Amino acid sequence: MSAINNKCEYISKNQIKITFDGKTYSAFEGDTIASALLRNNIRLVGRSFKYHRPRGIYTCGIEEPNALVQIISEHNEPNTRATIKRIYDGMEITSQNRWPSLRYDFGAINNILSPIFSAGFYYKTFMGPKGFWKNLYEPLIRRSAGLGKPPKNFRSKSTHQYHNSDIVIIGAGLSGLAAAKKFINTKYKVLLIEQDSYLGGVLKNSNKVKTINGLTPQEWISETEELILNSKNITILKNTLVTTYNFTNHLIALEDKFAGKKIDLNKSELTLHKIRTSNTIITNGHIERFISFRNNDLPGVMLASSFEKYIHRYGVVPEKEPVIFTNNSSSLSLLKKLISLGCKPKAYVDSRKKDNIETEIKKILKDKEIPFFSDAEIEGCDGNKKVETITIRQGKSFNKLKSSMLCVSGGYNPDIHLFTQSKGLVKWDKNILSFKPDTPFQKTITLGSTSGNYNFKKLCDEINEKLSIFKTKKVSLDINLNVPNKFSIKELWETKKKNNSNWSKSFIDLHNDVTTKDLKQAITEGFDRIEHLKRYTTNSMGTDQGKISSINSLAIVSKILKKEISEVGTTTYRPPYAPLSFAAIAGRSTYEFYDPERKTSIHSWHLKNNAVFEDVGQWKRPWYFKASENETMHQAVQRESKMLRENAGILDGSTLGKIEIKGRDALEFMNLMYTNAFSKMKPMTSRYAMMLGEDGMIKDDGIICKISDQHFIATTTSSGAPKVLADMEEYLQTEWPHLQVYLNSITEQFSTFNISGPKTREIMMKVFPDIDFSNDAFPFMTFKNFDYKETKIRIMRASFTGELGYEIYIPPKFGLELWEEIFSCGKEFNLIPYGTETMHLLRAEKGYIVIGQETDGTVTPIDLNYNWMIGKNKKDFIGKRSLSRPDTSREDRKQLVGLSPINKKDIIEEGQHIVELNELPKKIKNPIKYLGHVSSGYHSPNLNHSIGLAMIRGGKNLLGQKFFVTATGKTKNIPVEIVNPVFIDPENKRLTS
Amino acid sequence: MILIKCPYCGERDQSEFANGGEAHVIRPKNPESLSDKDWGEYVFYRNNPKGIFYERWVHSHGCKKWFNAIRNTSTDQILKVYKVSEKRPDLSEFKNTLKSPSGEPPVGSGNFSVKK
Ligand SMILES: [Zn+2]
Repeated sequence: MSAINNKCEYISKNQIKITFDGKTYSAFEGDTIASALLRNNIRLVGRSFKYHRPRGIYTCGIEEPNALVQIISEHNEPNTRATIKRIYDGMEITSQNRWPSLRYDFGAINNILSPIFSAGFYYKTFMGPKGFWKNLYEPLIRRSAGLGKPPKNFRSKSTHQYHNSDIVIIGAGLSGLAAAKKFINTKYKVLLIEQDSYLGGVLKNSNKVKTINGLTPQEWISETEELILNSKNITILKNTLVTTYNFTNHLIALEDKFAGKKIDLNKSELTLHKIRTSNTIITNGHIERFISFRNNDLPGVMLASSFEKYIHRYGVVPEKEPVIFTNNSSSLSLLKKLISLGCKPKAYVDSRKKDNIETEIKKILKDKEIPFFSDAEIEGCDGNKKVETITIRQGKSFNKLKSSMLCVSGGYNPDIHLFTQSKGLVKWDKNILSFKPDTPFQKTITLGSTSGNYNFKKLCDEINEKLSIFKTKKVSLDINLNVPNKFSIKELWETKKKNNSNWSKSFIDLHNDVTTKDLKQAITEGFDRIEHLKRYTTNSMGTDQGKISSINSLAIVSKILKKEISEVGTTTYRPPYAPLSFAAIAGRSTYEFYDPERKTSIHSWHLKNNAVFEDVGQWKRPWYFKASENETMHQAVQRESKMLRENAGILDGSTLGKIEIKGRDALEFMNLMYTNAFSKMKPMTSRYAMMLGEDGMIKDDGIICKISDQHFIATTTSSGAPKVLADMEEYLQTEWPHLQVYLNSITEQFSTFNISGPKTREIMMKVFPDIDFSNDAFPFMTFKNFDYKETKIRIMRASFTGELGYEIYIPPKFGLELWEEIFSCGKEFNLIPYGTETMHLLRAEKGYIVIGQETDGTVTPIDLNYNWMIGKNKKDFIGKRSLSRPDTSREDRKQLVGLSPINKKDIIEEGQHIVELNELPKKIKNPIKYLGHVSSGYHSPNLNHSIGLAMIRGGKNLLGQKFFVTATGKTKNIPVEIVNPVFIDPENKRLTS
Repeated sequence: MILIKCPYCGERDQSEFANGGEAHVIRPKNPESLSDKDWGEYVFYRNNPKGIFYERWVHSHGCKKWFNAIRNTSTDQILKVYKVSEKRPDLSEFKNTLKSPSGEPPVGSGNFSVKK
């Protein structure tokens, strides 16, 4: 058993070295991993998914179910198809799914235990007891089943590219090139996409075609490629695989920029092409299928056309004396190729009757004295980690031959994957025993073997006819063949077994280790619908999607069910056609580019002053400021909160959403959008307002500044701004197009500072000496515009802390300068910066709600006791009618209350339940009556005990009553009293001071 | 990924748009005069047919304009787009695309792939 290196024009003479499982091997530039391994007589390359059976190289292309390897030298890339991945000097490769080594794999015990791993094994075995899945089964399965290991420390640099074209041709084989020829120098913008690194397809993979138009295949390819390259309207994409065919002729293709080359870490390694086209021509050919027999998975079993491709494309003859097993006429080309190289197959086994076998085949076999078995089949093969003996059944007699390789051909399937993704309908063709494209749903044309046309002589007419809609010149193809022009095949999906053993298996899905027995068992258990059967057995659900076997399984199932294959139908073909790495899909949207970070104009100051940041939407907001290295968050927030109520604090509120509302009907519009009544509001005053959904539930809140009846500025929550603007726009366009109103987002046009605390007025007077901040001149909830240095500012008297406070709006360009000015003036008053956590604590002390904390989309203003905000006299506003719906006006809805612990040392935690029991039972048997939940919980430094805001059923009528709050990790509950949610300054004396 | 023809900008990728649910649901002029049931129907009830559907779209990452479209929900084919101000097009325009009461077309729904 040894491979021979043959002359090959497609392989370079440059010798390079690779390592596989730590050993170094020589190969040539242009080799794939598979051809390099075969060149070095390596047949065993991996262990199977479930049973850990030894597996080899089964195919020579994208359809490979077994030979998946891990590329150590490419950030540990797992599950790489050895049959398509091109090597380069120094490439490091390891096998997968084996421990401790490929030859001695511990997991192989699964093969002996295989009776328990049959169809539905996962569903049947890993049921209960509770907790076993998470703690035992899942980790166990993850370790023993599966494929390669995920990459580590991996940072991909892939890019996306967009195309708009008139015609996309998928596959540059014989039909693809001939089709492209029709568009040379025409008005059509054409993309010709080839998965391989060069054009030619079947012409380079096999011996089937002798000459085209009097030229050798290679001459014809070169001539055609030259013509295409010189035609400005056609672009060729090589090393590019079309994986997805979406609706409206939207294609996704993946280009490997480093095929056969070591990845340059500074360059994009993958390009994801997103293509819109008017027409799609699919010419990606066909895929050979296998036949199920006993131990059809042993290393050494290979598809016949793949064996031929290794000889033709890579100059590797994997074995000089293989056994050939076929049910169709196409294997003649392999036979001829071997003979021409002086090799002699051990035997030729054809399941067809002698009379149906082509005379040419019979003549060669006779002349060369090759053992010939017609009307025969392979019963099975045996050997230790490789094929050693092959058993042939002919009638009742068995012949056992020694050979290390078995070439199998079970016929060809048109590659209908992309066609069905495009939602076209396929039809069963009895002549080729396969599905072929029938009715396209989109503008899709299939040509050549993709369309089920296996007749080379008819190809030219097919192309000219199907592409006649484009009104271009006809192409001519005069093809001379090495194989019979007429394709002949005999139905054969699985051969009969002589004896049964646990070790011997007849596989239908090599990737996922599904046997033909599993199919039968699943049907017996009632899974007779093909989609159910697929999921129950995991048949054709591997990364190869059953490319060489799924039609076989449909045929076997239809035989068991005694139905026509077309009745059984196919499972749905879903994108991608072949695995598409997440790195390619993500493109540049990774790490810091995944989502933009928005920073305020004060950000650099926050950094310098030890701010710890919190993400609010895309915004980075200071959460709290560390006064010293060792200060904890709790300490910082307590300090900030106390200092503010004693002196003053300032918050960077620039992230608050700001929307400008202008126009003739601005007042009417605002009255419709918000609950509040704005008609009687005086110009240059502001008001806290709420926006509801039509269901009456609170959506957002903010302060509305009225400049005039025709001009308002609304602030929104930091994360709600885009949605509020979009909602306003929607109503304006769809419901009230008669209103003349213009909206503008001005969030980023202003830096906003919220300064508050008892010393605020003194600080403000020092910063702005020309402005009168007295109560009479500048009352609560009013605002004014001022000139400040070379810009203009707006100051509003408002507060979210409950203390005397102002909001300053200034163009961001001048923001930092003013912020620093405020600090230098505020130094003598002990002004501190504070973050969002302190803001939340202070507003909770004051009983102010936060959207998304107290509210959750099920809370109305009435539930919050904010009836004063509802403009009852207004005829209409969004959500008004819903407030009087029976469910919305129920008395026992969850309502906002305050919680105060009876034992002042107890801590009320956010998110805890409020119950009637002082202690929870050790084992909870019956549901415990639930009254509500704690929506906000803080330790108040100003009251010196824990406080809570809570949403409790019928809470308004429960003031003064005692209940209990659950606590993390304890069965003993915390006794609390229901109190008014305003803990500090209920008379608003501080606000208006 | 479908292509949608914005009536203002032309054909654009689906990712530029947001769907706004059923079209031609008009907000009542006098909500207070409606019964709880009628108001509830307006707020909570929408059609979700298989087949022809009149729906709203907004070109949210483009001109931000709202418009209406008629889409066959079983195939995702958009049969017509029209401005909000335009009248609801008559179904008889699309007679040929309505094959069965359920709206299941002979090709394109993705529910079966083999020709019967
Ligand atoms: Zn638009």
